[in-house]
Amino acid sequence: MSVIEGAIVYSNLLVLLSVGLTLTYITTAVPNFAQGSFAVFGSYISLTLLRLYNLHPYYSLPFTFVLGGLLGLTVYLLMLRPLIKREASVVILMISTLALDLILLGIIGSYSDSLAQFTHKSASRFIFTPYDFNLAGLSAILLVSSLVIFLSLFGLFLLLYKTRFGVALRASMENPDLAEVMGVNVEYTRLFSWFLSGALAAMAGTLLPFRQEIVPSTGAIIIVSIFAASIVGGLANINGALLGGYIIGFSESFLTYNLSAILGTGILLYSKVISLVVLVIVLILAPRGITGVNWRRVLWKKSSSQ
Amino acid sequence: MLRTVKLNAGYKELHILFDVDAEMEKNKITAVVGPNGSGKSTLLKSIFGLATIHSGKVFFNGGEITKYPPHARTKMGIAYLPQTDNVFANLTVEENLRIAAYTVDKDEVKDRINTALDIFPELERFMKRKAGTLSGGERQMLAMATALVRKANVLMLDEPTAQLAPKFAELIFDRVVKLRDDLKLTILLVEQNVQRALEISDDAYLLVSGRVAFSGKANDLLEHEKFEKLCMGILD
Ligand SMILES: Nc1ncnc2c1ncn2[C@@H]1O[C@H](COP(=O)(O)OP(=O)(O)OP(=O)(O)O)[C@@H](O)[C@H]1O
Ligand SMILES: [Mg+2]
Repeated sequence: MSVIEGAIVYSNLLVLLSVGLTLTYITTAVPNFAQGSFAVFGSYISLTLLRLYNLHPYYSLPFTFVLGGLLGLTVYLLMLRPLIKREASVVILMISTLALDLILLGIIGSYSDSLAQFTHKSASRFIFTPYDFNLAGLSAILLVSSLVIFLSLFGLFLLLYKTRFGVALRASMENPDLAEVMGVNVEYTRLFSWFLSGALAAMAGTLLPFRQEIVPSTGAIIIVSIFAASIVGGLANINGALLGGYIIGFSESFLTYNLSAILGTGILLYSKVISLVVLVIVLILAPRGITGVNWRRVLWKKSSSQ
Repeated sequence: MLRTVKLNAGYKELHILFDVDAEMEKNKITAVVGPNGSGKSTLLKSIFGLATIHSGKVFFNGGEITKYPPHARTKMGIAYLPQTDNVFANLTVEENLRIAAYTVDKDEVKDRINTALDIFPELERFMKRKAGTLSGGERQMLAMATALVRKANVLMLDEPTAQLAPKFAELIFDRVVKLRDDLKLTILLVEQNVQRALEISDDAYLLVSGRVAFSGKANDLLEHEKFEKLCMGILD
């Protein structure tokens, strides 16, 4: 896979993950630190289906979508909703998702041991690249991940802009109290966001092993990039996740690649530092992320100062 | 029709309303007046379930609704027009009207939106514009229109004429009277324009520092010898 292919694939997956993160943040004010582990959950579902039923990972996407969605829903219903009902602060919610991340890590870790014992094949680290193939001169993962991101975003767009529930969803994101006044049961929109967030994350998890090796703790590492993407784009806006995902995905891929040519491959270990540097730079220039900038005003200022 | 009993309410621990007993009778306009910060909006919010109720009860058509979620109250036929943040700035005017008709049967939506547009024909020019780009008065008209789109038998209006030019304010007062007389609605009206509000109302409540300082016929409050003082919150 060429560097650019790798960068696109990685960015596509990052967008899937950060769209979910931003969505649940807007609708429930929960910064979900377990989003990375939601993805690893998806990776392990695909691994299980591959090892037990010899199902190609690409075909397991529908399963991971549904199961990931159910995971998101369960987490919201069992853990977050009771906390929100008791008016927990955003810090409490954040710490609870950190705890959840540790719980998921434990569960995934012990599950990988059981799976390994059962199938007599290691499951504590794995990669899907041997299962990938070429299509029209391009790696299949490039096409599949692009198709998944296109369909997900197009579907989300149709839903948000063309359906009654979508208008209600956008209304609830902007002002939940007023949406209730209009007769919208805002709780449905929260359930929906957690389902979708879990589902998109798990699909990203199915595709991630085509690009990098997965271990049970991969989630804790990738979460840095997910947050960076969402925050760089602007946490208040769904489109921000899209923009941020590609900015972070590309900078991480290209800068690490170029730096490794100069400084040696040791730099690969620190690729997350790049996300954080980009994050810091963007936040200094635009504290609410890129979509939080009033671009019309910026452009107007520029043209009027000339 | 709508009644509060010994209502103590506020925001989380903050206590704003004290033992408020109020009753809105069917097919009447009830005015709620009082100085700034006296708790008028808080009363409407607690009737609608958007404020914290510390104790007391809210009844609608004889049934208790104190613990119902707000959207359920909308479905029961209470329409509420908040004083601030009463339109979705990121949605277009058309989408605002469509979401206001969320609880209306599908085949009736068009009709109801058209009826609201008949009353505020100005809005028709803005259908595709985001509500956030409207002027204060235009936004207030949209908000009022969204209240009319909802199918309700009780209408709670929190300062519907704020920001409107006198001509339009007068139109709204006229319209409110019509809603009572023609559509037989029950209306709860909070107004800064006390004089006009009391003139068109049947009953009135005066709130001062979160307590009911007067309750009775609107005319009696209007002709009260200490009317001016009462309205400024001076009680003796
Ligand atoms: N969301 C809130 N959180 C905390 N305090 C609030 C909130 N909303 C209002 N208050 C306080 O509650 C008190 C009553 O406010 P309320 O809005 O009910 O007054 P009001 O009678 O409607 O005034 P106005 O005529 O200015 O609209 C005020 O002291 C106000 O500062
Ligand atoms: Mg008020």
